[in-house]
Amino acid sequence: MKNEMRTGRKRREITAIVLRYVMIFVFMLPMILPVLWMLSTALKDNAGVFATPPQFIPKVFQWGNFKEAVIQSKYLQRFGNTLFIAVLCIIGSILSNFMVGYALARFKFKGRKMWFYLIISSMMIPGMTTVMPVFRFWVAVGAYGTWLPLILPAWLAGPFNTFLCKQFLSTIPRSYDEAAKIDGATYFQILSRIIMPLSKPLIAYMAVSTFQGSWNDYMNPLLYVISKQDKWTLALGIARLGSGTFGIEWNVYMAADILYFLPILVVFFIFQDYFMEGLGSMTAAGVK
Amino acid sequence: MSKEKSAKAASPVKKQRKAWWHGENFHGYIFMIPTLIGWPLFCAYPMIWSAYCAFCDWDGINSPKWAGLKNFKYILTIDPVFKKSLLITLEYALINVPIMLILGLALAMLLNKTIRGIKIFRVLYYLPVIIPSVATLVLWNFIFKQDTGILNVMLRSAGLKPVGWLTDEKIVLLSLSIIRWWTVGGTMMIFLSGLQSVPGDLYEAADLDGAGKWAQFRHITIPMITPILFLQLITGLIGGLQAFNEASIMTGGGPNYGSHFINYDIYQTAFGSSKYGRACAEAWILFIIIAILTMITFSKSEAYVYYENE
Repeated sequence: MKNEMRTGRKRREITAIVLRYVMIFVFMLPMILPVLWMLSTALKDNAGVFATPPQFIPKVFQWGNFKEAVIQSKYLQRFGNTLFIAVLCIIGSILSNFMVGYALARFKFKGRKMWFYLIISSMMIPGMTTVMPVFRFWVAVGAYGTWLPLILPAWLAGPFNTFLCKQFLSTIPRSYDEAAKIDGATYFQILSRIIMPLSKPLIAYMAVSTFQGSWNDYMNPLLYVISKQDKWTLALGIARLGSGTFGIEWNVYMAADILYFLPILVVFFIFQDYFMEGLGSMTAAGVK
Repeated sequence: MSKEKSAKAASPVKKQRKAWWHGENFHGYIFMIPTLIGWPLFCAYPMIWSAYCAFCDWDGINSPKWAGLKNFKYILTIDPVFKKSLLITLEYALINVPIMLILGLALAMLLNKTIRGIKIFRVLYYLPVIIPSVATLVLWNFIFKQDTGILNVMLRSAGLKPVGWLTDEKIVLLSLSIIRWWTVGGTMMIFLSGLQSVPGDLYEAADLDGAGKWAQFRHITIPMITPILFLQLITGLIGGLQAFNEASIMTGGGPNYGSHFINYDIYQTAFGSSKYGRACAEAWILFIIIAILTMITFSKSEAYVYYENE
């Protein structure tokens, strides 16, 4: 009797799990099919792209599309440009946000609360409201057509990361700072040798998300370097590939598109655990 | 606190002797330098300047000329594009925010179970979020193509009429929404971390009391994740009102301004037709709308958002 009940319950549990798997799989299809379609298109020859009925698995694998994509999208140069900008943004955003986060979390200076609220409230301002005066500023200082407008803002502590940093540093016990201070450490040493090593997950999260932001950014390159083709980033290059005068073959275009997001995919998979952890702590920070 | 004060009182001489460059004030501001430069430059100055220019004629080259309410009058009474942009942007944001929240929460519940392979499934659901927006839009542009896109090819082979995904004014917002739904994995992940932070003993206690699954969802899960729900509501709303790339890369705002989002409208007014003053006025209207919607959401939040520590 008891045994029967147990097997009955077990059966129900197994059905529930199988049902869950089926649903997970069904909902997963629309998530991955477009990506698979893109991959399959990128490998087809020109005749295969618009063949009817559609070829889901290419009849001919034309790997040369990727080579063609590298040439047509000027991939190497634009990859270099984008990487250069992204790396500088990462360094700047980590340094500047840790400085400001440290100040807000540790020093009782006059006006601290005021600055904190100013930073928080500036998160709400839509980018478009500030973009025209900022554009005018960059033109006025002669930085139009350079990468300065894309890089420098990252060195001046964006509000969201500052907030994240301040929340995170507040969770590190003050006793660490004080012990170091007694040993004669300066504030900069406390920040660089004690606080930052304790904040590795946050640093990883900020590095990955800044990298993403910089790699994905379309509007700023569009505003500032559109007139200088050799300064284009990948995002701009890929977006403009379709609107060229000759038009581009779709298989090559899809190949270029894949090459564009491949680096970000690789970075994501390497730092996946850190990133998810950061996402979790981010929501926790936002909630508190 | 009182201890500190008495310590100060006990050694007034020592405190006074401490030079100003050793104090917390000085050091605090040293570390604040990035913000002390960045905030005025990228926040205060642009806000003031664009507020001023909203009342000016400004072509971006010559200095702005005061024009009073001219820009606002034009935008609100004459300009046919702005009103339409505003309406479709609101429609797009207000419809998609609840859909994304419900879909994201449902998927998070589906994937919130430690079963074999769950990590891989989560990453695959998150995949569309990792792909940059430009790459996503290029991909969907190909999928939505009128004659040769895979969706219409499939519709045709099923004997149905092809749909003008990006060429039919009535459909285009739906098409762009589909792309947004495709990236629901981001919302899902945040909900997932919220669900995992709900203490398990709450469910155990409810189980003992004989509460069913629906009752548990309604009376434990939902109240416990309201802060995250609220956060997502705000960010979703603000993000949705600022759609830009879709219009710029895919549709050019068309057909017949059917996807002419307000951000794209501002961009076109400024950088397309060099009406910077008018664009500033439009941008301020957008800002005020976002501020009002955010404030409404905040003021209503106390009624339903549950904070554990309060």
